[in-house]
Amino acid sequence: MEWFQNVCQDFYNATIREDRYLAYLEGLKVTIQISFFAVLVGIVIGIIIATIRVSAKQTKSKILAVLSKICGAYVTVFRGTPVMVQLMIIYFWIFNTRGANQILIGTVCFGLNSGAYIAEIMRGGIESIDKGQTEAGRSLGFNGLQTMRYIILPQAIKNVLPALGNEFIALIKETSVISTIAVNDLMKMASFVTSRTYNPLPPYIIAAVIYFVIVVLLTKLLGIFERRLAKSDHY
Amino acid sequence: MIITKNLQKRFGDHEVLKGIDQHIEKGEKVVIIGPSGSGKSTFLRCLNLLEEPTGGEVWFEDTNITDPKVDINKLRQKMGMVFQQFNLFPHMTVMKNITLAPMKLLGKSKEEAEEKAIELLKRIGLEEKADSYPNQLSGGQKQRIAIARALAMNPDVMLFDEPTSALDPEMVGEVLELMKELANDGMTMVVVTHEMGFAREVATRVLFIDEGIVKEENEPQEFFNHPKDPRLQDFLSKVL
Repeated sequence: MEWFQNVCQDFYNATIREDRYLAYLEGLKVTIQISFFAVLVGIVIGIIIATIRVSAKQTKSKILAVLSKICGAYVTVFRGTPVMVQLMIIYFWIFNTRGANQILIGTVCFGLNSGAYIAEIMRGGIESIDKGQTEAGRSLGFNGLQTMRYIILPQAIKNVLPALGNEFIALIKETSVISTIAVNDLMKMASFVTSRTYNPLPPYIIAAVIYFVIVVLLTKLLGIFERRLAKSDHY
Repeated sequence: MIITKNLQKRFGDHEVLKGIDQHIEKGEKVVIIGPSGSGKSTFLRCLNLLEEPTGGEVWFEDTNITDPKVDINKLRQKMGMVFQQFNLFPHMTVMKNITLAPMKLLGKSKEEAEEKAIELLKRIGLEEKADSYPNQLSGGQKQRIAIARALAMNPDVMLFDEPTSALDPEMVGEVLELMKELANDGMTMVVVTHEMGFAREVATRVLFIDEGIVKEENEPQEFFNHPKDPRLQDFLSKVL
């Protein structure tokens, strides 16, 4: 009984006392903003890179071949180094001014990183679509980009949605790394509360629960989206 | 309408087309037959540059479309194509399949495009399928929709690449029937097929392509009744 009271007191200290729950909410806001914008950046980069690399294979264009090489190098570098190292380099090299926008740093770093992974996911998705689809689009008079946009990408995205979901989930959790450069995300706020209560367990458990809930909600959301896209599969 | 001059195509060391000269006039229905691997599909696909020729020229409506400066996308709008595997867009309803290109490429409004689509669907007897997805259709229905999709662009010529080869036998008839109607309406058609009956009945000219060249061409009566080329005689004796 006494043990239970202590636990309750600890959690009370870590949340209600001095309105500390506000700290988590503030951190949550930053985490969600960084994740959201990073996902957007990642998708845009991913689709552009995947389109370039697939198109370069199909045509003989020299410019595309060079671009494709560059994209390949980008993917290799960003997948080949830890996101923590990338964050440090981006932070100290590009944003080496005090007071740089925290959300912007996070968006750039995690967006660039995630873009490399999404590029490979999208490339697999695009290559899984039958060549006849491209031919049908081109024969109607669509150019290569229009065919990609209206015909290939919608089908490719539908096919890779589970893999994309995985990537989004990993990204949300990975943003916790940004607390190391003093960005006030959820993780940072949890450690901030710890420094006030001198009891690390409750704040980190609370942070864990919040991350978990976000991921579960996202999974549900993706499930709904997947079912909507699967409409055309019913016989 | 379509002219090929010494049309050649090679894949690596393999020479598929060894120089084909053809004049296809407006209103003609040219049927191409030949053994598999003879280059007949490649020839058809060179006509709208789905395959890029490696030699010679293709002219369409007084434009040399093998000239790299020509906007091939614009010209392809005037050349409808129907594939063996239908290639409908599986993520779109039948209606969207038909209206996509007219809306995005011809700048038609949704209403205009749908009106035209319904008209086409009525013509092929599938208007009740407008909101279905391709997966919900039979092979014959899919191919008729694919023809309607090509027709929605108001093409000047229709290219058919073995349109009935992937169909169950009982569905071949409905597709050929639609193609016959199209022919009777005066559409210029180039058809690669194994359907000799169709060639005999609809063609104004039949080409026999073998080993990358046109070995014989004639109007269908003469072509089927008095073939001159020994390879064609042999081919016809096997398929007829």
